[in-house]
Amino acid sequence: MGAAEEREKQNSDFFELTGDVLDVGEIARRVVLAECGATVTLDGYVRRFTKGRETEHLVYEAYRPMALSEMKKLIEKAREKFEIAFVGIVHRLGKLEIGETSVVISVGAPHRRAAFEACEWLIRELKRTVPIWKKEVFADGEVWIEGDSAETKGGSNLSDI
Amino acid sequence: MKVNVLFFGATADSAGLREAEMALDENTNAGQALERIFSAFPGLIKNHQPKSLLFAVNQEYAKGDEMIREGDELAVFTAVSGG
Repeated sequence: MGAAEEREKQNSDFFELTGDVLDVGEIARRVVLAECGATVTLDGYVRRFTKGRETEHLVYEAYRPMALSEMKKLIEKAREKFEIAFVGIVHRLGKLEIGETSVVISVGAPHRRAAFEACEWLIRELKRTVPIWKKEVFADGEVWIEGDSAETKGGSNLSDI
Repeated sequence: MKVNVLFFGATADSAGLREAEMALDENTNAGQALERIFSAFPGLIKNHQPKSLLFAVNQEYAKGDEMIREGDELAVFTAVSGG
């Protein structure tokens, strides 16, 4: 890849869904700019114990086109709210083992404070609005995890139903 | 008019399928369409609180009074749990 192409690739937000193993460092470096001084990266990975129950593995599923458009909207809102340069969000789908990275959010900014705040805001909103679901598989069963987005919204988005 | 209805995760299990074509009356709004979906797939209200489900039209969270059009893509799913 030439220098110009490299720069082109870096000078933009990105949001992706993939079945591949996530390389956190590679994703984080993609938002690094000369104008910036800090990148804050969230490496979200599969936890072994949730509320005392031991997870065997997780399966993630997405409503792909809507998930991508909601991720794009989140990045646009984050840039309005925080002094940040670029954001990259990559979420893995399919079967994930304990300790494997499920989501990476990298925020590059001139100064670290805005990057920290934006990264926290982005993961909170992603977990509330982006249509991705996880199924926890245990030794003796499995369950689709329901987030708290409906509660947060005070019920369904069609609250008149 | 014909629309396409999608289910994911828990709602796919409850509906017993992931995708279905449905015929709706003209002048159906999102709220009415969701009621039709609940009638057609009773597993949804058997397994979920109707108010806890989210509803999208053409890949956007829907408003109840939004009108449905021929060929729209509707989706019913539980509160999201990515991350």
